[in-house]
Amino acid sequence: MSHPGPASDRTVRTIQWAMAGAAVLFIGGIVIWITHLIRTAWRLGDGPSASIGISLVAIPVFLTLLGVILYVVRGLLGEAGDRRERETVDEREGI
Amino acid sequence: MADPAGTGDEVLLAPIERTGPGFYWIVGLLSVLVLWGAAAYATQFVGGLGVTGLHQPVSWGFYVANFVFFIGISHAGTLISAILRLSKAEWRRPITRMAEVITVMVLFIGAGQILVDLGRPDRIMNVIRHGRYQSPLLWDATSISAYLTASIVYLYLPMIPDVAILRDRLAKRKLLHTVLALGWTGSLRQQKILNRAIAIMAVLVIPIAVSVHSVVSFVFSMTLQPMWHSTIFGPYFVVGAIFSGIAALIVAMIAFRRAYGLQGYLKPVHFRYLGQLLLVMSLLWFYFTFAEYLTGYYGGEPEEMKVFWAKFNGPFGVLFWGMVVANFVIPVVTLVSLRRHTVGKVLLASISALVGMWLERFIIVVPTLSNPRLPFGEGTYWPTWVEWGEMAGSFGLFALFYVLFTKFFPIISIWEIREGREVGLKEVEERLLTYLPDHAEPAHPPAGAVVR
Repeated sequence: MSHPGPASDRTVRTIQWAMAGAAVLFIGGIVIWITHLIRTAWRLGDGPSASIGISLVAIPVFLTLLGVILYVVRGLLGEAGDRRERETVDEREGI
Repeated sequence: MADPAGTGDEVLLAPIERTGPGFYWIVGLLSVLVLWGAAAYATQFVGGLGVTGLHQPVSWGFYVANFVFFIGISHAGTLISAILRLSKAEWRRPITRMAEVITVMVLFIGAGQILVDLGRPDRIMNVIRHGRYQSPLLWDATSISAYLTASIVYLYLPMIPDVAILRDRLAKRKLLHTVLALGWTGSLRQQKILNRAIAIMAVLVIPIAVSVHSVVSFVFSMTLQPMWHSTIFGPYFVVGAIFSGIAALIVAMIAFRRAYGLQGYLKPVHFRYLGQLLLVMSLLWFYFTFAEYLTGYYGGEPEEMKVFWAKFNGPFGVLFWGMVVANFVIPVVTLVSLRRHTVGKVLLASISALVGMWLERFIIVVPTLSNPRLPFGEGTYWPTWVEWGEMAGSFGLFALFYVLFTKFFPIISIWEIREGREVGLKEVEERLLTYLPDHAEPAHPPAGAVVR
């Protein structure tokens, strides 16, 4: 298996974490939007109807999606990072 | 380690490694359709919705029919793939990726129809800033956002091991593959993480997918318009969506089977099983249609009957009966026996079902608006070249996205095929034994699929 060099390795890690950050921003934005719409409905007296209940279900769904994304990114990248760290130490010690 | 060398799966990487002239011809042809769509949209953007056939009282036409149709097609992927994964249907392995790609691509196109229908796309900001949750249109926006996000995640996660194969094998697009592979090495810990995430997503996307088309149906059924205000519209739409989704999946499978020489992976048995599913969905569709129209007819409510007769023997009669033939007669006749000419028969039934389901969406949207309950006066709807162009462009864009995807990623999941060979056979045997009366069920269920 060929790995990118140390410089590009940093670039790759940065892009990967930026992707995770974009997911947080995207889903966070949607959650804020839904919250804003519920507050608008409340303010305009649309009432605590079923529609607000339905919308409230959406927030946990989006948060679960975000949780899955972060779980995978952290789990896979975390191990990849540990492995590279071990390889660097091994190289330094001439193992 | 993830490397297909020596496994005989090189044919799955061939479309990514090499590009033949056929690819450029297809891309060129689809680009022409997309350009036609772009020209149509530009005309509408400059001239407003007046250049279309939309007017009062028929304010929804091709665009909304396309929206419902495309969102329905999206059920091909995530829902079918998730159900097959959870039910451990082993024959799913070569088809899940194709199905999941359809979902993601088509959701973008479907959601885009609403932007086109708005006339002025800047008005989408009003929905974002001032939307009110008492409108089912906003429920739609919410559920489609959730479905799109979930579908992208559900497409991406099972792709990670395959992207790692590309990273290790190909010299081109190294950065893209390295970034998307997320440091995948195939270690036990990584397999465990990915398996768990895929399992969570498979469970999560099913209710989301069902909710999406239910909510799409609510846009119609929450009004008091004749032949829209129906309590079975939710399941009726979901059944139609799965029906058209399976049909779209079959057409895509047959196209790529031929184009990329995937006969060894997509065998007649896959088409036979999908054909049987299609037949079941055709029968279910007919049952729901029959129940829907019989109930309306028996009520005999005058406004309802105007729409009813407009569909049965009025101006929409040809389209209505065409829909019945395409969705029920042709699929049932062709799929009832699949022992010979399986692929050809399934293809014919699928194309017929796709045409029929588009007609069904049109038949739901337009006749009701042509005969409104309020005293607007009746109306007719004739699409102009702008709507035809936009429709051609939408189909072209979907196909173009799909074809381009196959140049970047394997269209059949390599690791799932390998897993089937290495682990699946033994696992199926063990599972089968647990079904039999003289074998005890293990204390713990067999370990989940292993990602390589």
